[in-house]
Order: sequence, then C-alpha cells, then structure tokens
Amino acid sequence: MFTYLFFLSSGLFLGWSLGANDASNIFGTAVGTKMLRFGFAALIASVFIVLGSVISGQNTADTLNTLGGIDTLPAAFSVSLSSALAVVLMLKSGISVSISQAIVGGIVGWNVYTSNKTDTETLANICASWVFCPIISGLIAVGLYLIVKKIMHHSKIHILWQDWIIRLGMILTTALGGYALGANNMANVVGVFVDSCIFTPFKLGRFYTLSGVQVLFLLGSLAACVGVFTYSKKAIKNVGKNVLSFSPVVAWIVILSQSLVLILFSSQKLENFLISLDLPPLPAVPVSSTQAVIGAIVGIGLAKGGKGIKWSLVLKLMSGWVASPLIAFVLSYVTLSFMENVFRQPVVLP
Amino acid sequence: MFNVKISLFARTRELEHIIDRLHDKIIEMTMVFKEAVDIYLKERRSENYRQTSKKIKQIEHDSDKLRREIESRLYEQNLIPDMRGNILQLVENLDRVINLFDEVAHKFYIEQPDIPECYYEQLQTLVQQVSDCAENMAISSRAFFRDLVTLRDYSKKVYLLEHQSDKTSAKLRKAVFDSELELARKIQINTFVEEVADIADLAEDCIDALLIFAIKREI
Repeated sequence: MFTYLFFLSSGLFLGWSLGANDASNIFGTAVGTKMLRFGFAALIASVFIVLGSVISGQNTADTLNTLGGIDTLPAAFSVSLSSALAVVLMLKSGISVSISQAIVGGIVGWNVYTSNKTDTETLANICASWVFCPIISGLIAVGLYLIVKKIMHHSKIHILWQDWIIRLGMILTTALGGYALGANNMANVVGVFVDSCIFTPFKLGRFYTLSGVQVLFLLGSLAACVGVFTYSKKAIKNVGKNVLSFSPVVAWIVILSQSLVLILFSSQKLENFLISLDLPPLPAVPVSSTQAVIGAIVGIGLAKGGKGIKWSLVLKLMSGWVASPLIAFVLSYVTLSFMENVFRQPVVLP
Repeated sequence: MFNVKISLFARTRELEHIIDRLHDKIIEMTMVFKEAVDIYLKERRSENYRQTSKKIKQIEHDSDKLRREIESRLYEQNLIPDMRGNILQLVENLDRVINLFDEVAHKFYIEQPDIPECYYEQLQTLVQQVSDCAENMAISSRAFFRDLVTLRDYSKKVYLLEHQSDKTSAKLRKAVFDSELELARKIQINTFVEEVADIADLAEDCIDALLIFAIKREI
C-alpha cells in the first residue's frame, strides 16, 4: 500500500495543481468581482469537485485509457510526473496551462517508449476536442450573452435585485463548475492509475458503495480540494486583474459557458445520444477549463463588436495546443527511460 | 437559514424603497422651490414664505438622512460591489442638488433681494426651467436603477433644459446690468440669478456622471 501511495503521489500533486489553478476558472470571477466570499465559493466548489469526480469522473478516464492503457504503477507515476513538470514549465513561460493536454502527451510518450500502438482515431478525437472546446464555449457564451442582454433590457429589474440574481447564479455556477471540473478533469489526475488501482470497494452507509476506482478518484479530488483551499486564492488574484474589466453578469456567463462545455465533454450518455442521431459525437475527453474560459471571453468580445479582444490570449491558447502535449511527450519518454534503466522499475507488463 | 434569506430580501426591498424615496424628495423639492419663489415675489419674507422655506429645510434634512442610510446599507449588506462606488457618488451628487435648492431658498429669506417687477416673468421662467431640469435628473437617476433606455431619454431632456436655463439666465443678467438700478442691487440680483442657474448646471454634471455609470452597467 505504501509503495502504491508513493507512486500515486505524482497524481496527487497533479490533483493539487488542478485545484490550485483551475478552481480560479470556476469561481475566480465571482470572488474577483467580490460577489462571493472566497471561503464560501471554495467550499461549494470543493464539495462539487468531489461529487463530480466520484460520480462521473470515470467517463473521461475511459477515453484516456483507450489512448494508452498504462498498466504498471512506475509507468503511471512517470507519465503523471512528466505531465506535472510540463505544466510547471508552461506556467513559468506564461503559456496557457492545460493539464488535459499534458497528460495526453505523456500517454503518447508511454505508447512510443513501450512500442505500444497509439489509437490514432482516439487521438484525433481528443485533438479535435481541444480545438472545439474553446469554439463551443465561445458559441455558448455568445448565445447566453445575447439572451441575458435581451432579458435585462426588457425586464427592468431593480439593480439591487439583479445583484441577488447574479449572486445566486454564481453560487449555482460554482457548484456546476466544480462538478464539471471533477467529472471532466479528474481523469487527468488519476486516470493513468486506473489500470493499476489496488483499492477495494468502500461502503458509504447502507446504500452506496464506492468501487476501488471511485476511491482512487475520491483521493484525487481531495488533493484538488487541498489545492483549492491552499493556493487558488493566489491564482484568483492574478485572474482578478484581467477579470475586473468585466461586469459580474459577463463574468457569470463566462463561468457558466465553461462549465457547460466541460459537462458536454464529460458525458458518455450525450456521446451515445449524438451517435444515435448520426451527429458527430462530443467524446468524453478531458478538455482545458482555461481554454474554455478564453473561448468564452473571445466569443463575448466578438459579440460586442470585436473591440478589446486580447488576441495575444488567443495566440497563447493555440500555442498551448502544441506546446503542452509536446513537452509532456518528451518528458514522459525521458522519465520512463530513467524509470526503466536507472531505477529498474517495470514500465509495461510483459 | 430560511429566515436569514427572508430578512436579507426584506432588507433589500427596504433599501429599494429608500432609494425611491430619495428621488421622490428631489421631485418634491423642485415643486416646493417653485412655490417658494412665487410666494417670495408676491409677498417677500412673509409668514407664508417662512413656512415654505421651513418645508424646504425639512426636505433637505430628510434627504440627508436617506443618503446616509443608503450609503451605510450598501456597505453593511455588501450589495452591488462592482457599482457601489458609482452609486455612492450618484447619491452624493443628488444630495448636492437638493442642498443647492435649500441654499438659494434660504438666501432669499436672509437677504430679501429687492427684485423689480419687470424681471419677475423671466425669473419665474428660469426657476421653472431649473426645476424641470432637476426633476428630469431625478427621473433619469431613478431609471438608472431599473431601465437604462428611459435614462437616456430623460437625460436628453436635462441637457436641453440646462441649455435653455443658461440662455434665460444670460438674458436676465444682461437686462439687469443694462438697467438704471444701483450697482449694488444689480450685483445682488445677478448673484441670485447665477445661483438659481447653477442648480441646472449641477443637474447636468450629475447626468454626465450617470451616463458614464450606465455604460459600466451595460453588459
């Protein structure tokens, strides 16, 4: 068990950084615009991150496992660590951070190192989802923006009551965003450990039993909660500087769009439903919440006439598509090589 | 928890009423001010004028209380954090307009300017324009809280009335200085006319700021 937890530590570190960085996408705007208090928002987000991870987190993990079924603990540790390092490197260079993209690069690195064939169809689906994620987020944001603007124009609600409605909306969106983040992104954190999971089912009262994999997701989400409470306040301060130029309503639309996109890319049922309608499916795949936020901001910027869009942000988004997986791929290859040749640990089952 | 929410909503509704009452006070002030000038021109410092002047003082006093109440409640209840500063500024601006009405009315009471009858009509026109200007400012300001389209319509009226009052006051002052009155009387009447016209200028400044706040309020 101790060895397992040691190897899982890199995943938990990723979980911590997910909570520290991505939580600011969920409620950073609400706290930055002083509509919600940090402690309250962090508590709601944490509860729902845990629920999202445990209830729906496995859907996106299945897609990652189709891409590469990492079957030994040392390999999972290496891939997870290299993704975490890639994220840290990217953070330092100021490029849009995406744990989702780093982990895919890491898994492909494992595939190449172990001469395991990469499922190109799954990879293509995942890469397409990275491009579609900000685009869909932008479209949802534009739709919501136009609807909300129309409603506000005609409703003549007093500014004080508008304030209450927005606050309530932000609380609900924080919960939705937390759930979506857990459901969509927790696979990045512990997904590579699923095949080597050793946890046994855990009984929660009389009626509900967590499977071993759900216990794994619970641990990952708890690490994310620690990240939310220990570090996300700092991330929010940085986000706040950009965010304060929005009105709280726009800020709310941005978070809501981001959450909806994450949910769209987490649901196996929706994927099956779209396939049954002969429509292109939205695969259950981890996408970047940061890029969804940027997509929503650009969408609203365009709906307002295109003035004031920071195109440098868009460039950063696109550079993230390439840089994150590439750096993680190289690091994963090197780390696996170290793990196998220096530490003599198995990185693939014979 | 449920009770807390109910009381929060009740407090918000109360604040909404207080903001409405502040606007009602401005509209009331414009009407009483017009009445006060009419009485002064007819009866000078009569008992009737003293009572009307008292009424004006009371309105000023009430609106001061309402302003303070709005300011403290906005902070205590942590409401509209993004617009709070703007709303405080707006409320202060409205209060300044009310204060100026009070000051002018009080000045009539203290100084008792001797205004020749030939200027009554022009002075009453000026007072009418200035009062209408302040009334439209109050309507615009009320609309800022609910309906930004109405705000724009009424702010146009404020600009128009301010321009008209400028013209009326310039004409009146010119007529006063062209007359055969003593210089001291000319200067005294001129000061009164300027102060009455200042009310419209202040209302216009208030609308300028309000329109900027409205841009911020648009999503």
